[in-house]
Amino acid sequence: MKPMKKVIAFLLVALLLLPGCVSQYANTVNKADPTAAPAQQAETKTETKAETKTEEKPGEAAPTEAPAREKQTLQVWYAVSGTSGDKFVAMSKAFDEGNDLVDLELSYSGGSADTATKVSAALLTNTQPDVALMYAGPLYTGGRNDYAMAELVKRAEYDVDDIFPGMLDYCTYMGQGICAVPFGISTQVMYYNKTLLEKAGVDMTNPPKTWQEFYDLCADLLVKLGGEGKDFTAFDVSDAPWLFKSMLKQNGCEIVVQGDDGKIKPVYNDAAALEVTDFWYSLVTSGIMAAGEHDNAENRFLSGNCAFIAATSNRISRWRGATEFELGAIEMPYFKNPSLALGGNVMVILTDDPQKVEAAWEYVSYLTTAENNAEFALATGYLPIRKSELNNPDIQKALSENALYSIAFKQLDYTFAYTHFEQMGTMDSLIRNMLNKLEKNRGTSQALLDKAVKDLQSEIDEG
Amino acid sequence: MEKNASAAVKPPARAIRKITLGRNTYSVPEIVVGVLLLVPSIVFLVFTFVIPVVQVVELSLTNFNMATGEMSFIGLRNYRYLLENSDFWLSMWNTCKYSAAKLIFDTSLALLIAVQLDKNIPLKKFLRSTYFAPVVVPMVASSLIWIWFYDPQVGPFNQILSFLGLPELKWLYSEHTAMISILLFSIWKGLGYNVVLFLSGLQNISDSYLEAARLDGANEWQLFWKVKFPLLRPITNFVVIMCIINSFKVFTEINVMTPNGGPLGSTRLIVSYIYEQAFTNGRMGRASAAALLLFVVIFILTQIRSAMDARKDVDYE
Amino acid sequence: MSKPADIQPMRIRRKHLNGYQWYVFVMLTIGALFMLFPFVWMILSAFKTKADVYAYPPRWIPSSWQWENFTKVFEMIPFWRYYFNSIVTSVIETVLQIVISIFAAYSITKLRYPGKKLFLAFMRSSLFVPMVVTMIPMYLLVASLGWLDSYAGIIFPQVTTAFTTLLLMSYFDSIPKDLVDSAKLDGCGYFRVLTRVIVPNSKGAISTATLFSFLGNWKSYTWPLIVTTKTEYRTLPIGLKYLMQESSSEYQVMMAASLMAILPVLIIFIFCEKQLVRSITLTGMKS
Repeated sequence: MKPMKKVIAFLLVALLLLPGCVSQYANTVNKADPTAAPAQQAETKTETKAETKTEEKPGEAAPTEAPAREKQTLQVWYAVSGTSGDKFVAMSKAFDEGNDLVDLELSYSGGSADTATKVSAALLTNTQPDVALMYAGPLYTGGRNDYAMAELVKRAEYDVDDIFPGMLDYCTYMGQGICAVPFGISTQVMYYNKTLLEKAGVDMTNPPKTWQEFYDLCADLLVKLGGEGKDFTAFDVSDAPWLFKSMLKQNGCEIVVQGDDGKIKPVYNDAAALEVTDFWYSLVTSGIMAAGEHDNAENRFLSGNCAFIAATSNRISRWRGATEFELGAIEMPYFKNPSLALGGNVMVILTDDPQKVEAAWEYVSYLTTAENNAEFALATGYLPIRKSELNNPDIQKALSENALYSIAFKQLDYTFAYTHFEQMGTMDSLIRNMLNKLEKNRGTSQALLDKAVKDLQSEIDEG
Repeated sequence: MEKNASAAVKPPARAIRKITLGRNTYSVPEIVVGVLLLVPSIVFLVFTFVIPVVQVVELSLTNFNMATGEMSFIGLRNYRYLLENSDFWLSMWNTCKYSAAKLIFDTSLALLIAVQLDKNIPLKKFLRSTYFAPVVVPMVASSLIWIWFYDPQVGPFNQILSFLGLPELKWLYSEHTAMISILLFSIWKGLGYNVVLFLSGLQNISDSYLEAARLDGANEWQLFWKVKFPLLRPITNFVVIMCIINSFKVFTEINVMTPNGGPLGSTRLIVSYIYEQAFTNGRMGRASAAALLLFVVIFILTQIRSAMDARKDVDYE
Repeated sequence: MSKPADIQPMRIRRKHLNGYQWYVFVMLTIGALFMLFPFVWMILSAFKTKADVYAYPPRWIPSSWQWENFTKVFEMIPFWRYYFNSIVTSVIETVLQIVISIFAAYSITKLRYPGKKLFLAFMRSSLFVPMVVTMIPMYLLVASLGWLDSYAGIIFPQVTTAFTTLLLMSYFDSIPKDLVDSAKLDGCGYFRVLTRVIVPNSKGAISTATLFSFLGNWKSYTWPLIVTTKTEYRTLPIGLKYLMQESSSEYQVMMAASLMAILPVLIIFIFCEKQLVRSITLTGMKS
């Protein structure tokens, strides 16, 4: 029975390969323990091939001597596209040209989800890029206990105190330390279709401040513009969990708290959260917002079937002058006090090699100087990260000329970031599902909130 | 290799050595050639299937986390989690619904169209190409077109409905129509494959059978059920099995058209669930366990299918 | 090469017997319109202005024909490079798949040796596993071989032969044993039986398998996405997806890119289809 044996033999070989694969994971887990690495590398002869790509080899030998700096090539992945991507590339190229010791190899790594997947996979095999501009997610270095960035930002010339405190929170993992630098940060902005509102005769010189005022305005708008058999809604939001989190905070709910034991505890089922949820539901029952069509919100807005949309400030660059109607924006309404959750991207340094870290830091700090970041913010609609940027003449000019920017930048005064933790992606998807059920009337607000909290808690406990 | 093999055959009496295993007698060179021909297949199977799957089995017993890279052995906890998780069962149920509908519509429509295309009609080649054309379009492009079709505001489908005086639909955004919308799309996309398979089977049917049946006074209907359908059996089996397997594995179009599981999770199929566990939640271990459960389900279904088929598979032993 | 003379008489006879079946034609044409509608939409949309895209109610015919949409694609992505990559990877994958599958299918259907059932079970079960699941283990494997961001890394993990082997087996089965035996009596070895008898008699099946396998590879998305990051190895489906992200609300540009992506394949298919169906017809081992 030769072939049968063959198959069995192959199975056995495969099983034998297993320990090798497993230790590969272990390898990345114990990154801190350098003694473990060489032993495992010897296992697979071909493994070293993976590192032939760039200057990894000199890098390995160098640290002991620490001589004069060699030229470093940095692999950079970035997850911003369109105008933002173009601007990012242009600025990176400018850095590259002005610096003889650092070469950049830039690759667009897809949208935020694709990039997160790719970076996770790459980290497992030690093939990660040296620097990445990506969605904050669980801040890939923090999740792996790498807080080298916390030391880097303390350097005197960087002036970390100039950065908005909320933005630094956004770069902090589990309250333990900074593991990224803010770049390409955004908040949601309430855009509106000026042409449509003018047609309806709604006066926006005194925009609604609270959600209740906003609700009344929308209800009024529905009467004026709806009822033509057209599928018109007054308001929608493209990223529902994001807005919901802001609303929680506005109403005094902390979203998640970190206990003394360092463990994260979700608290978005308290009385404040219940009020927010009930309000959300009233938006749907009154016909102001469509039930469960958030994925289509932007199309709805762009086709003039929706008057208001809460979307990322990054859309300023994409929509400005490109819509068929006049685009306006107002400050985000609030419940008790104005408050907006930060979102968007950060720069992370993923390399371990000290020389490369040095080079990467040079690059990262170049991009986040007040002057350069202001330039990026104005081109993309992402936010300034430094207080001093607001004094920048270009920013001043944009603020006075363009209402969209002035709204987005004004909102900086009350932005916040909740504690970043490992299951934050899970939390967003639980909130998304919960809102979907709420909008489609599949349970009471309290029951849905309780379930979303309970599910997240058990995921956190799972570890 | 070729020389050896042919040399072995030429003088039959001398060279063929026989070997007896159980009740069967085999020729040794034939075994050698047969196995050698399988070697490339085996190499790639090991590379693309055995090694990854063995690792998946291993991972399913751990709490391996994609985001942090942490991993420890947790026994069967992932399996228990899944069996107790309502979302997992919902996605399984959704997958069964999807697969059943796809199987029924896809195979019967493809067979119907293939039989008609086999008839004597003008513009035959053009029509044949038309039915196959959607297969050629990359998934990203075709799903984008269809998302647009389904758009409740700017999409042409609702425009057509309202033109016909019918109520407009929410298509992908309503839990009642989301699955149907996806089915409609995937039937459009995949029909051509099966049509071509059936068509090639039909053209292999000898005219003499058909002539004989016609002379016996069989009408079109009888001709199909009594002659064509039985003769198409091997192709039908193949199409059915592939359809079951592929519809249980469907992912890209679902993920592009209704990300995050669609309205009320009504289009979250099992592979989307696995993907979410692995990449949104970072639970690679749990995703691996779900994948193995999926493997078991497909295996059982294909076995049932084979058992249901009265005629046995050709016995290759 | 095939001999069209063989099929000519049959075609003529059928035509004589029935004449055209017009009601079937009408039915099929209605179905074909449904199949073609998305293509028509794609072509029209590729020329639309942005205002047309977001017009309410929807506008079917572009208000002015925008050829710039096509040039815009080239400005945004290295379209031809992606095209080239897609062709290189799918052609190599397809050739490997078909050659390996022919060997395996021949071995299983025409040669006698023990242990086949086990191999078959193995191969069949390889169909049951979705790519999403094996992706990460495969990634670890490919990374340890140093194949990330390379053609080898894209190609080898995608050489899955189970589908094509099973397809070919069902055709090889129908080749009569007598034909093989008589070739053997004529002094053909195992390989010559394969090249002289099996392959020429299964041209149709092999071209069907080739077509399916090529299309499968041509549109493959999940794996190339994760294994490539550098632009120089990016394939067309990934390029299209990235273009979609780049130009998020610019459907018209996406449609122009999609149109350019499918047109050559569609044309090749329409030309080969003739050949394909003819060879399938000739394959018929009519007993």
